Amino acid sequence: MAKETLTEQMALGDLPPADEKPQPKKASWLVWAAENGIFVFTALLVLFAVFFVDGFASLINIADVLHRAAPLGIVAVGMTFVVISGNYLDLSVVAQIATSAVIFIAVSNEYGIPLAMLVALGAALLYGIVNGVAVGYFKANAVIVTLSTTYIGLGLLRFFSGGSIFFGPPDGPIATFGTSKIGPVPYSAIVLVIMAILLQILLTRTNFGFLIRSFGVNEKATRLGGTNTGLVIIGAFIVTAVAAMIAGFVMATFSNTAVSNDGLGYEFRALAAIIVGGTSVFGGRGSVLRTLLGVIFVSVLTNILVLSGIGFGFQQVALGILIVLAVSVDAIARKVSQR
Amino acid sequence: MTQTMQLGKAADQSFLGRVRSTLARRTEGRGVALLAVILIGVALFEPLVFTAYQVSLGRIALIGIVALGLTAVILMGELDLSVASTLALSGVVMALIPDIWLGILAALATGLIVGAINAFFVAVIGINSFIATLGSLFALRGLAFVLSDEAPVSLVNKDAGIAFGLPLLGPITPRIIIFILVFIAIQMFVSRVRMGREFFAVGGNRQAAFDAGIPVRRRIFTGFMISGFVSALAGVINTLERTTADPTAGSTVLLASFAAAIIGGNYLKGGRGSIVGTLIGAASLGVLQVALTLSGVQVPVQQIFIGAILLIAVTTDPNSLRAVVGSLRQVTRGRAKASSA
Repeated sequence: MAKETLTEQMALGDLPPADEKPQPKKASWLVWAAENGIFVFTALLVLFAVFFVDGFASLINIADVLHRAAPLGIVAVGMTFVVISGNYLDLSVVAQIATSAVIFIAVSNEYGIPLAMLVALGAALLYGIVNGVAVGYFKANAVIVTLSTTYIGLGLLRFFSGGSIFFGPPDGPIATFGTSKIGPVPYSAIVLVIMAILLQILLTRTNFGFLIRSFGVNEKATRLGGTNTGLVIIGAFIVTAVAAMIAGFVMATFSNTAVSNDGLGYEFRALAAIIVGGTSVFGGRGSVLRTLLGVIFVSVLTNILVLSGIGFGFQQVALGILIVLAVSVDAIARKVSQR
Repeated sequence: MTQTMQLGKAADQSFLGRVRSTLARRTEGRGVALLAVILIGVALFEPLVFTAYQVSLGRIALIGIVALGLTAVILMGELDLSVASTLALSGVVMALIPDIWLGILAALATGLIVGAINAFFVAVIGINSFIATLGSLFALRGLAFVLSDEAPVSLVNKDAGIAFGLPLLGPITPRIIIFILVFIAIQMFVSRVRMGREFFAVGGNRQAAFDAGIPVRRRIFTGFMISGFVSALAGVINTLERTTADPTAGSTVLLASFAAAIIGGNYLKGGRGSIVGTLIGAASLGVLQVALTLSGVQVPVQQIFIGAILLIAVTTDPNSLRAVVGSLRQVTRGRAKASSA
């Protein structure tokens, strides 16, 4: 009796999800909103923007929204794997994006693009393995681990790059890629779509994807089922790191420059997109395509705020409240459906 | 002075046995080891730190105050990522109000409100505290930018700030006195006050604490409000010393205060830990930072050091070590089976 009261009252995040019974869900608008609200909200937001925000519904602006959504989306679809595995998020994407952007420009200036991509891939794998080993084998808290690797990574990057800005050649392939479009759609948005499709297949159609989801639902059962769970977690962090690396490439092609501040704020906006999309921070539930929808929501919202002349500070406040509200709806819906 | 809610095994009454059981109950081991390593390293390479103890003490105080508040939350198995933003926001609030005392009061009230909001989402709604306070980390930083118009706000009453920076007794500045007072207050709270001791119970086993009649939700509120209040206090001190409030203040404190609290032996899962350990952790990080600064090491490299200490701290947690040993054993056993088959 007392246990049920507490579960209802507190909805302890750290109770083993084994306590969840696959009960038939009771019809509740809140549960429905937590699962499907994003479709309605995104549609409403876009309609609102089209009718009430000056300058939103122009081809130039839409292209700009896509342009800005691309690196955010690429980071977010990768980080979805870490969130679904029940490890909250990967803060170190900030350092990963900046590292890959700087390596991409700096190394390709000297030794050509293929080698630059290889070096960046090496760095991404290193991030993924360090984070994954600490979280997967040492069972350390993912937030703290990735907070520390963020500072280690940024510190190393600033030390080796001297904090300077790297420029690519003005008419090289990097600059061409960054400015090319098919119609209004920039190449970067196409990269995002390809990434999302590949990762969705990885998540839903492969053994690895199944293990990620199963780990997020019930860690212990996955381990007892004979899985090397540490490797699964390392895999999740490597997917995130490789996605962040590609986002770094895409960002570098935009401006044809790279600097160690490139990734600032991306961890937070990516998390906002993932959570708003309906992927649960409690692990186990979510999809890459939902994240894509969340990316559209966050990008359109940011665009509306920018077009209305609202400053950086308010944008931060709005996104912070958005994250907390979206998680609250998820948490309350879980409680309601467990009742 | 370390408190654990475990009952010891049948007490071994010999002197050595008592020493051993005391040591087993302590959680500060890693903090002491780090402090020893850093002190030896500093004595060999940069003995100037000991003559410039005034600077070191000031640094320890700033990291330590935030880390002490954080400890109250970590003891309950929760985490407060918003401390750095609370520090910045309360500083801005204080500088915006012309009257200095009113400003300080408003800043401290800001901290309490922030703590209560965090606790609301954690205890009532049931969000994981990492996510809830990550949201407030960014929201509050944004609010600090909005309120300050994205530029540092200077204090109206600059004389108060200058007076605050002057040493009172020998090298003891008001900041250090406040730090010591906060340390004593929180130490007394968690070791001598019933409410504070219940923090350990809440962190150790929340279900058991609830069944034993401890008002778990109210304790979580208390913990987050302590953390918010203490970070606001750090914001007030920081603003007084610099005579300006910077909306970006505190970003370096976040990493260092976490490192101090965790290396000091406070288990992130809650239930075990000590305020003394946090003090030791803060002392080692403060000394390390001052030593690195004095030897001309750039800030990015300092961040590598502190980030590495945090990573080591969180992976050498006894729980983590046990997990690694467990999975290693699994691997070797698997190998043995495979080769025998």
